[in-house]
Amino acid sequence: MLSVIRLAWRNVGRNPRRTGIVVTAVAVGLSGTLLSMSILSGMMFQIVDNAIKTDLGHLQIHAQGFNKDPEIGLLLENNGAPEIQAIQAEAGIQNWAPRIRGEGLVTSPSASVGVRVIGVDPEAEAQVSMVADSIVEGGYFDQKKRVVLGEGLARRLGAELGDKIVLSAQDLSGDMTGTALRVGGIFRTPSAELDRSTVFLELASAANLFAMGDGISEIVIVGRSRDAILGTQERLSAALPSREIQRWDELQPLLASILSVMDQMAAGLYLIIFVAMSFGIANVLLMAIYERIREIGILLAVGLSRTRLVAMVICESLFVTLLGLVAGFLLALLILYTLSGGIDMSLWAESLASFGMGTRIFPVLTLEDFTIPTTVALLTALLASAWPALRAVRLRPAEAVRHD
Amino acid sequence: MTEATPILEAIGVSKTYDARGVQTHALSEIDLSIAGGEFTALAGPSGSGKTTLLNLMGALDIPTRGEIRLDGESLGELSPAELSRRRLHKLGFIFQAYNLIPVFSAAENIEFVMELQGVAHEERRARALELLENVDLAGLGDKRPLEMSGGQQQRVAVARALASRPRIILADEPTANLDSKTAIRLLDLMLELNRSQTTTFLFSSHDPLVLERAQRRVWLRDGVIDRIEEGEAG
Repeated sequence: MLSVIRLAWRNVGRNPRRTGIVVTAVAVGLSGTLLSMSILSGMMFQIVDNAIKTDLGHLQIHAQGFNKDPEIGLLLENNGAPEIQAIQAEAGIQNWAPRIRGEGLVTSPSASVGVRVIGVDPEAEAQVSMVADSIVEGGYFDQKKRVVLGEGLARRLGAELGDKIVLSAQDLSGDMTGTALRVGGIFRTPSAELDRSTVFLELASAANLFAMGDGISEIVIVGRSRDAILGTQERLSAALPSREIQRWDELQPLLASILSVMDQMAAGLYLIIFVAMSFGIANVLLMAIYERIREIGILLAVGLSRTRLVAMVICESLFVTLLGLVAGFLLALLILYTLSGGIDMSLWAESLASFGMGTRIFPVLTLEDFTIPTTVALLTALLASAWPALRAVRLRPAEAVRHD
Repeated sequence: MTEATPILEAIGVSKTYDARGVQTHALSEIDLSIAGGEFTALAGPSGSGKTTLLNLMGALDIPTRGEIRLDGESLGELSPAELSRRRLHKLGFIFQAYNLIPVFSAAENIEFVMELQGVAHEERRARALELLENVDLAGLGDKRPLEMSGGQQQRVAVARALASRPRIILADEPTANLDSKTAIRLLDLMLELNRSQTTTFLFSSHDPLVLERAQRRVWLRDGVIDRIEEGEAG
């Protein structure tokens, strides 16, 4: 069989111009698709990453039922001490932070806006969220009795740094309560939604506001990576059977489904491109067969079986496609290398922020970006070789050896 | 020295080509037997049916009627895969031109057949070099066909035909594209192989150089055997 493979490989090099055209077509098609997919993936990954870094974390621990109905009364008692003990036993967890989460109304001299109120431990929160690094005015809880709010919300309230605002909410016992705080910091994150509707205050202030006692709403956890967190989730769930331990994609299923749709889109796109290319490959192989009818006759005469003849044609198809794949991957990697600093999308900053994205897109290639097109390409190479192979095996040796 | 038992036999063989309803009778009721060690030529003018008969006896085509037997086995009862195996193990071929695979070197062309037979790498490499030496092409193993003359290419084809240690070598107009000097060298080489190694040859040719060396000449005319001449021609 080795001789057949060697023969197929040398046949590929017989007409360098023709092989070059097909290889170039495969390479350009593949690199173009890969580039488009990597930019799209970069956008999607940024949406997911930003959601993780601003709010979700990789995992969250809640009382049972919180995710279905996040009411303030569903607490982790004793400041989440048993949960924190379980977290500290986990080597895969990098950082964690306790939060109190509720709804409220923030009022400034000029407006009132319904908001999400999140009480945080500033030091721990800075390790799990990008908000602390996104301050554009003031500081991140560098003074007492301060709130940190988004640029969008500040605009809606007409509030500036140092202005007093009143935060009203319903406490744990159902009574209306309120507190006056000053704007200590204004942040701008890639998430327009977060910026428009969230107020951060210190954990103790939130506990007072909602009369939570020693209760907290959740603990947010950040692990080494999204994939690495699966095992951590399993172990924490076993250790804390009465708690909801949910991953980011369980907390926000829409984000997970976006990524899944992306994978399906990629497979579909590659299939369309390579099926179109398979006609080009089939055409080249057919021409090669027509040019070599006499030679194929000789091969059959000296004892090459039809099975091996088919194998030879398939190998030629695979070799041309593989060359195109290698060239396409190299071309795509070269282009992506030049884009490694990111693609500036600041012209569309406002629209992108509404999707939770920044103004610089970093193309992302995953393992699937290599495995999917390779699999699809090799399958289409097989498909492309079917017609020429059929043509070759139908040749009658006696006629083929006398072909002019 | 010829063996009594025939290697190859044509028994009542006829071949009719049907091209869009027009039937052409290429061969009619041919009976011919080739014994081991023969150096036989199918002779006759163009269109007499000699190449058709050679193709049928070489399992490259199937007769319309009659039977071809190779070592007593009827080829008509074999599947295409089995026919391939018989060609690989029992038959050697030399054609008029473009005999060799152009992307392989001379040695690789010879080794190719042995590799199909499953001969180990070292053994086939050694045999390929030995065969090249036998056909006076020692040192040219790495040359590609296009780097060789027509005569050298045909000698590589002879070496390749011998590589599989076939029962018989069938040569279709092997000298047609060669000048007479080169043709004589090639034919003398094959005659030497026939005499020294009792390799059986069956030619299809109208080249006098072939016919004068053949021990038996089977003359065909209009698809039938016209006459058979025994003994080397004058």
